Amino acid sequence: MVRMAAYFLAQLKRARKLAPAQLAASFLICACAGALVYLLVAQGVLDAGGTRYRIGMVGDLSDSYLGFGIAALQEMDDSRFMIELVGMSEAEAEDAFARGELYAVMRVPEGLMDAVVSGENDSLITYTPAEGQKGLGTMVMGEITGIASTLVTSSQSAIFAMQRVLIEEGRVDEVNRATDRLNLSLINLVLSRNGFGEVEILGYADGLSMKLYYFCSVFLLLLLFAGLMNCAFFARRSMALARFLKARGVGAFGQILGEYLAYLGLVFLGLFSLSLPMAFLLERERIGIPEWEGMGAFPFWGFLRTLFPVVLMFAAMQFFLFEAAEGMVNGILLQFLCGAGMGYLAGYFYPAAFFPERMRMIGGFLPTGAAARYVEEGLFGGASAGAATAVFVYLAGFFALAVLVRKRRIGRE
Amino acid sequence: MEVEAVEIQKKYPGKTVLNGVSFSARAGSCVGIVGSNGSGKSTLLSILAGVRRADGGAFLCDGEDLLRRPGMIPKVLGYVPQADPLMEELTAWDNLRMWCDKETIKKSLSHGALKLLGVDGFLRTPVHRMSGGMKKRLSIGCAVVSDPKLLLLDEPSAALDPVCKESIRCYLEAYKKEGGVILMVTHDAQDLELCDDCYILKGGGLYPYQYDGDFHKLAAALCEKNF
Repeated sequence: MVRMAAYFLAQLKRARKLAPAQLAASFLICACAGALVYLLVAQGVLDAGGTRYRIGMVGDLSDSYLGFGIAALQEMDDSRFMIELVGMSEAEAEDAFARGELYAVMRVPEGLMDAVVSGENDSLITYTPAEGQKGLGTMVMGEITGIASTLVTSSQSAIFAMQRVLIEEGRVDEVNRATDRLNLSLINLVLSRNGFGEVEILGYADGLSMKLYYFCSVFLLLLLFAGLMNCAFFARRSMALARFLKARGVGAFGQILGEYLAYLGLVFLGLFSLSLPMAFLLERERIGIPEWEGMGAFPFWGFLRTLFPVVLMFAAMQFFLFEAAEGMVNGILLQFLCGAGMGYLAGYFYPAAFFPERMRMIGGFLPTGAAARYVEEGLFGGASAGAATAVFVYLAGFFALAVLVRKRRIGRE
Repeated sequence: MEVEAVEIQKKYPGKTVLNGVSFSARAGSCVGIVGSNGSGKSTLLSILAGVRRADGGAFLCDGEDLLRRPGMIPKVLGYVPQADPLMEELTAWDNLRMWCDKETIKKSLSHGALKLLGVDGFLRTPVHRMSGGMKKRLSIGCAVVSDPKLLLLDEPSAALDPVCKESIRCYLEAYKKEGGVILMVTHDAQDLELCDDCYILKGGGLYPYQYDGDFHKLAAALCEKNF
């Protein structure tokens, strides 16, 4: 026991010496991951998308009302984040369309506004998408056109009805002023429709919002790949030392335990160094997670507590993989392949809800799936006994396997 | 201390490595074991050190069978494997601290084994910056710092320069004089000169050999089929 403690302290010293280089590597990876998290969950960025559909507008754009409408849409409406309307000639549109620079072309026929004003419905805007077949985008566009038509027709009906009532009542001098007021009211109604509709996502895993889901996934991925970031810890290990330790009374179990505890120190140091800037961002509300809104960084510390058993389990898994692999390069490859494969199946890259039933089932049984379930349940007031048991069974299993492999290697000829 | 190995056996699937190996050593003596590569010398040493399990036999130290009581092994013997059992990132001091307390190290550095091995000259040097000779001396230092009465050495002079070999040899002579028992696996003629008894390990058996300083004769004996 004394020798094991001494060995642990020596490993801890080793970890301390390796820490600066490991932290630098971790920071580099975390900076990339942080940027990814920010892009995914930072307030407004996800909503804004970042990719805008460029739609070419050709035809009769001379009408001042239409021009005003397009300008209003591009400058004031939320759709400006997703759609860029570009006025151009037919020839320019054809060229841009051929080069793939346009998502679609909208043709405004001549005399459209006159037809709208006179209540006729024989002049139509044609929408031509770049896609060869009727995709989701085209269908949505069709729906939007339908909504716009209804809005235009209804507002025109309202204006005509109001004008007729005023004329019948002999208040002709009020018609123009009342029409302007009603027009402005209708425009206001259309342009202030930020809260007009909302896409409600039921949740990817036990009701987590997409932002929190990805937030958890990125953290789990970082922990899963901690073995790669801290691979220097597994380098320069010699079986001579393992045999020497055995001769001095520190068997495979004591060796693995001593190394594992020191390695955990390195992993927690990395996690802590990542958590501080993350907590800062949450405190400043630079990362908007719906479930944690208005609570600052407080729920994040709870999230880290929830992660604790997962850190232990993933560290044990990394230990086993490095122990099982012959040589450093094999170890790194094994870490990467296992991490990427299991992470994918457990839904760390894409929400598991997107996968077929069988894949989801397999993913749920994997250590990564057990970890995800534990964390997701933990975020909703505490993990179930089943989720906790799965994590601890995997932890014990990986640890036992690492000990077994070490034992075999010590005794190998 | 009296040491006796009795009928030690070790088999791997399809191969008998040690087939009833026996020898004995008295206090203040050195036993040398030679044999061709793969003959089982290192396996024998690692069994005696408690690293591997024997399939049969006994290893008696003052009447106690260490193979039956492996818990006693760390107290009784020091083992130096062929490769250096050191942590590369740590200094000599840190490596020594794994095996005993500060006071013992300081005592040994001032007038003990570590002083004789010259470890005091590179105490704060990280292992990865040490020469092969420094590493070997430190490895022996780690094994003997807690003052064991039996020392198992697996090719202690392999790939070392003459100065380093001499330094290790001086220490081992001093160790013997203090009543320690050395069991050494070697291919080195100079190492064999230190040995009081010499054995050849061949075909799983251990045979006594009278080494007279003629290394060519020893090599011929190793090649001989019916030795």
